[in-house]
Amino acid sequence: MKKILIGDHIVKTFGEGDEKRNVLDGVSVEMGEGEFVAVMGPSGSGKSTLMFALSGTDSINNGKVVFDDRELSSASENELSDLRRTAMGFVFQQPTMLKNLNILDNIILPSMRGNRKNAAKITEKARANMKRVGIAELEKRDITQVSGGQLQRAGICRALMNSPKIIFGDEPTGALNSQSAQEIMDIFSEINADGTAIMLVTHDAKVAARTERVMFMRDGKIVSELKLSKFDGSDMDGRVEEVTKKMWEVGI
Amino acid sequence: MYYRIIRNDIIKSKAVTLITMIFVAAAAMLVSLAAILVVHLSGSLDTLMKQAETPHFMQMHSGEIDTARLTAFAEQNSNVDEFQVVQFLNFDGAQFIFGEKSLANSVQDNGLSVQSEKFDYLLDLEGNVINVSDGEVYVPVSYMKDNTAKVGDMAVINGKEFTVGGFLRDSTMNSSLSASKRFLVSSNDYAEIKNLGNIEYLIEFRLKDMSALGAFETAYASAGLEMNGPTVTYSLFRMMNAISDGMMIGVILLVSLLVVTIAFMCIRFTLLAKIEDDYREIGVMKAIGLRISDIKKIYLAKYAVIAAAGSILGFALSLVFKGMLLENIRLYMGESENSSFSYVLGIIGILLVFLAIMTFVNGVLKRFRKISAAEVIRYGISQDKNTGTKRFILSENRLFSTNIFLGIKDVLSRKRLYVTLLIVLVISSFIMIVPQNLYNSISSKSFISYMGIGNYDLRIQLPGNIYGNTSEKIAEIVETVKTDQAISKVAVLTTKTFKAKMEDGSEENIKIELGDHSIFPIAYSEGKAPAADDEIALSTIYADGMSKKAGDVIALVIEGQEKELTVSGIYSDITNGGKTAKSVFTDHSAGIMWSIVSAELSDKSLIDAKVAEYADKFDFAKTSDVDEFVTQTLGSIISSIEMASYAAVAVSLVITLLVTLLFMKMLVAKDRYSIAVMKAFGFTNSDIKAQFVSRSVFVLIVGIVLGTLLANTLGEVLADVAISSFGASKFNFAVNPLSAYLLSPLMMIIAVLTATAIGTSRAGQIKINEHIKE
Repeated sequence: MKKILIGDHIVKTFGEGDEKRNVLDGVSVEMGEGEFVAVMGPSGSGKSTLMFALSGTDSINNGKVVFDDRELSSASENELSDLRRTAMGFVFQQPTMLKNLNILDNIILPSMRGNRKNAAKITEKARANMKRVGIAELEKRDITQVSGGQLQRAGICRALMNSPKIIFGDEPTGALNSQSAQEIMDIFSEINADGTAIMLVTHDAKVAARTERVMFMRDGKIVSELKLSKFDGSDMDGRVEEVTKKMWEVGI
Repeated sequence: MYYRIIRNDIIKSKAVTLITMIFVAAAAMLVSLAAILVVHLSGSLDTLMKQAETPHFMQMHSGEIDTARLTAFAEQNSNVDEFQVVQFLNFDGAQFIFGEKSLANSVQDNGLSVQSEKFDYLLDLEGNVINVSDGEVYVPVSYMKDNTAKVGDMAVINGKEFTVGGFLRDSTMNSSLSASKRFLVSSNDYAEIKNLGNIEYLIEFRLKDMSALGAFETAYASAGLEMNGPTVTYSLFRMMNAISDGMMIGVILLVSLLVVTIAFMCIRFTLLAKIEDDYREIGVMKAIGLRISDIKKIYLAKYAVIAAAGSILGFALSLVFKGMLLENIRLYMGESENSSFSYVLGIIGILLVFLAIMTFVNGVLKRFRKISAAEVIRYGISQDKNTGTKRFILSENRLFSTNIFLGIKDVLSRKRLYVTLLIVLVISSFIMIVPQNLYNSISSKSFISYMGIGNYDLRIQLPGNIYGNTSEKIAEIVETVKTDQAISKVAVLTTKTFKAKMEDGSEENIKIELGDHSIFPIAYSEGKAPAADDEIALSTIYADGMSKKAGDVIALVIEGQEKELTVSGIYSDITNGGKTAKSVFTDHSAGIMWSIVSAELSDKSLIDAKVAEYADKFDFAKTSDVDEFVTQTLGSIISSIEMASYAAVAVSLVITLLVTLLFMKMLVAKDRYSIAVMKAFGFTNSDIKAQFVSRSVFVLIVGIVLGTLLANTLGEVLADVAISSFGASKFNFAVNPLSAYLLSPLMMIIAVLTATAIGTSRAGQIKINEHIKE
C-alpha cells in the first residue's frame, strides 16, 4: 500500500527558556492510502498538535513531514494553503464556520477560491454531498439556525468538496450527543469506504473502535498502537472493549 | 480594579487608543482655539474702537462742502455729541513711493490726513494717539503686512520727501474691504501739498445715544446735506474690521465640528467592536447579577481617561498655536483687555468637548440593555440579524471573485459597524472636494461676472468732481479708446445718485450705473439686464433692503418728478459695498459720482502696455488692468482659499489614513477567528488581505460617491452662503473634473490602500491552531 502521509521524528517545541518543552518529542507516523486511523491520548499529550503538524497547518522544529510524496517543511506558506485546500479536508470539534454566510455558502467557500467559473458545478456537488449526509433542506439557513449535529455534517460536506486524499478530524464528535456521534461516524465510514484516508483525534473509545488502527500518545510520544480489522458493522462491543483494554494498559 | 482593567485594555490596543486620542485632542484644540480667538477678536476690536473713538456716523463726500451749514445741523440735532469734518487728500497710487516700491498698482484710494482733533484718532501700534512731527509719515498697517514699507524708509509722496515714522491703525479704514487708506502727516506738511491732490471730506459724528442712530441717519438725509459718497455707520466699521478674522473663526468652528464628528465615529466604532468582543463577558456579568450601570462604569472610565488626556493635550496645543492665529488680530487691532477670560472660555470649550464625548459613549452603551444573558450563554455569539444580505449568496455569485465577494458580504452584513467608517470617508471626501471646487470657481475668469464686474480687460475710472466738467473728459477718453486699433469693445458706465421712493413714503439715496449693460454682461441671479428706459437692475443688497423682486416697480424722484422703473433683474456685486443699481436711461439732472470706461483688447498680450499707455495719457483718471483689480480686491481671499484647499486635501488624507488604519487594526483583532478558519481551509494570506482591501475599497467607493454628491449639493449651498456674505449670490461651482473626480478619489484610494495594507499586516501572523480551538 502506498504511503500517503509520513511523519519522521517530528519535534515541536512550545514556550521559551525554562518554560520550554517538547509537545511533540520525535514522533514518527505513517499512513497508507485510504487508511482509517485514530489518535488517542490524554489532554495535553500532543495529539491535536500532531494533527496540525502533519497537515502543514503548523510549523515543526525538527524532523520532516511528507504528504503525497511532497515534503511539507520545504513548501512555502502559499503552497501549504493550496495543498490544504485541494488535497486535504478538515473537520473540527467546533463548527468553524463563518457567521455571515449561510450553510451552503460555508460549504462551498474553500472550493470557490479562484474558481468562480465553476460555481455551478461546485454548487451542484455541494448539494449532492448535503443530500448524502441528510441536510439537503438546510442550505439557505444561517449557521445559528441549525443543531450542532447538523453543523458537523455541514462541516464534513465542506471537507469533502475538493475530493481530498485525506480528511483530518480533530474530535469531530466531541461536542455531540452519542446518537449524533454515531451518525457522524457512519458518514466517516462511508467516506472511507470510497477510498479517502481519515485521521481522527479522539477521546472516545467508541469512535476509535470504528477505525482500523489506533495510536496512543502520551507526553509528546506515541507509546503504543492497536491494529483492528476494517469495521464492517459487526462486533462493535468487542472492538470497543479491545480499545478500552489497551487504554488501560497504556495508562490513558 | 477599574485602573487595572483600563490599563490592560489600553496596553492591548495602543494604536487604536492613540488614534482616538489624537482626534479628541484635535477637536479640543480647535474648539479651544475658536473660543480664544473669539474673545481676543471682540476684546481687541472693542479696545481699538474705544481708543480711536470711532465715529458713529460717517458720510464721505467729494465736491463742494458747506461747513457752516453742517455745523448748524450738528448744533441743532440734540443727539449729536461731537462733530468734525476730516480732510482726506487723495493722490494717485503712483505718487506714493517707498524706496523702490510704489503704490501704482494699488486699487485702494490712498490719501493723506492730519490727526483728528476730537475723535476718530489714528493710533500707533501701542494704541496711543499718534503725534506726528514735520517730515514724518505714518503708514497704514496693511502696508506693513505686505512689506511695502518699513520704519525709517524714505518716502516720496507727490514729490515731497518724508521719513516713515511708524505705522498706524485706522479704526475706520483698516480693513482691505474699505476702499480708502489714510496716511498721517503733520499739519504743516499737509498744508504744503494740499493743493496738489483731490480733497475728499469725511463728515463725522459721535452721538450721545447710539440706539437712535437710525433716526439720526434719516434726519441727516432729509436735511439735504452733503452726501456725494458712501455712508458708513459704527456697526459697519465693526463688521468690516472683524470680517476676515471672523471668517477664519467660522472656518475653524466648522472644521472642529467635523473633527468632533470624526472623533465620535472612531469612538463609536471601537466601542461597538469592543462590545461585540466582550459580548460573552457582558452577558455572563449580567447573568451573575451585576447591574448594567456597574458594567457601563468600566467602559465609561476608559473613555473618560482617553477623553480627558485628549482634551488636556488639545488645550495645550491650542496655547501653542494661538500666537500664530492671533498675529493678524494683534497687528490690526492690538491687544485685548480681557485676554485671561479667553483661557476660561477655552477651558469651557474643552469641557464641552469632554462632556459631549462622555454623553456620546453613554448613548452607545445603551446597547447593553439589549444583550440577553440567556442568549449569550446558549449561543456565545451575538445574534445580529443579517438583514438585507440574504440574497447576496456565494453560490449564486457570478460577478465577483470569491475574495471580493467575501469582502462586500462582510460590509453588508455588518452595516452598523461599517457605517461609521463610511461617515468618516464621506466627510473626508467632502472636506477634500469643497474647498477645491470653491477655489476653482473663485479663481476662474468667469467668476468676476458673479461679482458684478463684466468680462473686460481694462478699466479707466474717473471721479465725478475733477475739473468741473467730467462729461468732456469722458468724451475725450472714449474718443481715444474707440479709435484705438487694439481695442475691440468699449463701454461707458456713469454712476449717479438718485432719490428712490420707499414703501413708507420716505426717500433714500440710490446709486445707479447708467449706460449700455449688454456690452460686458454680468451674471444675474434673477431676471436679466435692463434694456429699456423704464427698466432697472438692483444689486442683491439693494433688492433685499427694499424687498424687491424682478418684475416689481420702483419709483425714482428726478427733478421733482416721479419716474417708475420695473426691476428687470437682480445681480451680485462686490464693488462699492454691494449697493449698486443699473439702468440705461439718459439723465442730465444729477451730478456724476464717477464714470468707468471699460474695454476689451483683441490681443490680450497688449494689456500691460495699454494700461501703461492710458495711465500716462489720462493722468486725471485711474487706469487698471481688470485682473489686477480682481487680484487686489479678491486676491487675499483667493489665496487663502487656495491655501485652505491644499490644507483640506492634506487633512482629509491624514484623516482617511488614520481612521482606516484604526478600523483595519480593530477588524483584524475582531475577526481573528474567521481569519483562522479561512486559513485552515486553504485561504492564503494574500486572500485574506484581498478580502480586507475589498471591504475598505467597497466602503470607500460608496463614501466617495456620497461625499462628491454632498459636496456638489450641500457644499455648493455652503459655499453660496460664504460667498453671499460679501455680496454675491446664486453661485455655481466650477468643477475641475480632473482633480475633483479623478485625482482626489485616486489620492483617497491610495490612502485607504496604504492604511489597509499596514492595518492588516498582522493578519498573516494569526496562528490557525491558537484561534480555531475554543
